[in-house]
Amino acid sequence: MSLDNILTNWSRYRKGAEEGGFHEYEHQWGMVVDLNKCIGCNACSVACYAENNLPVVGEKRCGKNQAMNWLRIERYWDEPDLAPYEAIPTANVDAWIEGNPPAKKTELKPSMPSSYLPGLLEQDGQSFEQRVGFDGTKSEFQDFGASFLPMMCQQCHAATCEPVCPVAATYHTPDGLNAQVYNRCIGSRYCSNNCPYRLRYFNFWSYYEDAWPEPLHMQLNPDLSVRDKGVMEKCTFCIQRIRVAKDKAKMEDRKVIDGEFSTACVQTCPTGALVFGDMQNPESQVSKLWSYHQVERGKTKQNKENKELRGYRILEGLNTDPSVLYLERVREV
Amino acid sequence: MAVPHRRSSRYFLMAFAAMVLGIFLAASSAWADGSSGVPNAVPPKGEHEGKNVEQPIEFPHNIHVDINKINCMYCHTYARRSKVAGIPPTSKCMGCHLVIATDKPRIKKLTEYWEKKEPPRWKKVHDVPDFVHFTHEKHLKRFVFDNEGMSVDRVSEVCAFCHGEVKKMTVAHKVKPLNMGFCARCHEANKGPFDCWKCHK
Ligand code: SF4
Repeated sequence: MSLDNILTNWSRYRKGAEEGGFHEYEHQWGMVVDLNKCIGCNACSVACYAENNLPVVGEKRCGKNQAMNWLRIERYWDEPDLAPYEAIPTANVDAWIEGNPPAKKTELKPSMPSSYLPGLLEQDGQSFEQRVGFDGTKSEFQDFGASFLPMMCQQCHAATCEPVCPVAATYHTPDGLNAQVYNRCIGSRYCSNNCPYRLRYFNFWSYYEDAWPEPLHMQLNPDLSVRDKGVMEKCTFCIQRIRVAKDKAKMEDRKVIDGEFSTACVQTCPTGALVFGDMQNPESQVSKLWSYHQVERGKTKQNKENKELRGYRILEGLNTDPSVLYLERVREV
Repeated sequence: MAVPHRRSSRYFLMAFAAMVLGIFLAASSAWADGSSGVPNAVPPKGEHEGKNVEQPIEFPHNIHVDINKINCMYCHTYARRSKVAGIPPTSKCMGCHLVIATDKPRIKKLTEYWEKKEPPRWKKVHDVPDFVHFTHEKHLKRFVFDNEGMSVDRVSEVCAFCHGEVKKMTVAHKVKPLNMGFCARCHEANKGPFDCWKCHK
């Protein structure tokens, strides 16, 4: 039965709409991220750590790209002109206020955020900072012009991670979510290699042994298992909350109401940059935003003629059909 | 004419008797299976021989349920409202046992706990692993409250699907495997949901 189930799901869901594979979902959870509102405070990421029993792995493992941040904030310095000044030591701020601004920058610093992938940027035994000649006096980044992009699992409808799993531990739920069954995962890591967004995280160590020393283990969320070594995990759109909401709705013989619950990150975001909801409900806030920005499911390219519309999906040209809509950041110039 | 007529009527009688017998046999074998007369339900199949769990007080389920006909949900009152069925607080026991059977040794022991203001440390008999999400309330809704022709008085027959005939036991004893196959067989037979994340967490 369950093998049948999996095979049907594979053939039904793994193709994008353009290839004729689509999708009768019970719900269709989706998200909208307004990059204009995101201030990069990382509260969403912290909420995710707390909600989903994510271990804090420590600096060394983080440096090896083993951090378990299901929701990470990516930084970009995409508009260097907005950062015309050299970074200044704090002591000189007074001088600046008094009308002596620091010297204009002549040459731009590399805009690759080194703390994001430090291990990967290391070459020939030299750290990123050493290679770019960062001497510790100036900031390695510009002081202005960073933009932030919260990156959680995109819950692709034609998820690239699903068909490559040899044991079908990652599959598509009837809610249109891309789910991971921890008990079934054998840790082959194919899915992570196949994810174009790098949003799957592997437990290289038994983090639970030291991530929650007593009494911190009391903070663990009982609605979610604590994953062991050798298991792949990823953002689930807080599926445990979805389950509670659906159970409650079922007990009361009604449908899930929009806004009745949300994921931990959405609940936490102080600026309301994140919106979560059921896209099958045309009245929900998410579906209204999607339709306002004229982004359609199942397409690999959106009509971008109207410059007023800011919606885009990351790497949608790969036909992954993600469920997360990003609204472009607009800057004053 | 008379002979064929008589023969056919005897044939009819025999067929009728066989039918009655058949129904009786089927019914009795169903009872022997542990399957009950719960309408719109196929009880899960599977047997298990659980260890005897020593409880602080040997609680006789049979006296309460079988003889005195107390509904399971009178004591396990959270079953219909939450994930867990719950163990009744000592105050619920004492509600009756302040006056009933106060001279029995087990009740005396209970009263001691009550006077010490200390709950008896009941041990868990039926447990599912931590990665399993199971709710009593939804199962009761499906098999009892939303089930036409099923009265709440007979809830013990539904409980027996997974807990065995507790009403015939003294101390509860695990007689069903409560493993994934057991759950899955029942979900298949009763058209329950088959999404991994419905039960796994
Ligand atoms: S909580 Fe909101 S504002 Fe803060 S980083 Fe996350 S999305 Fe941006």
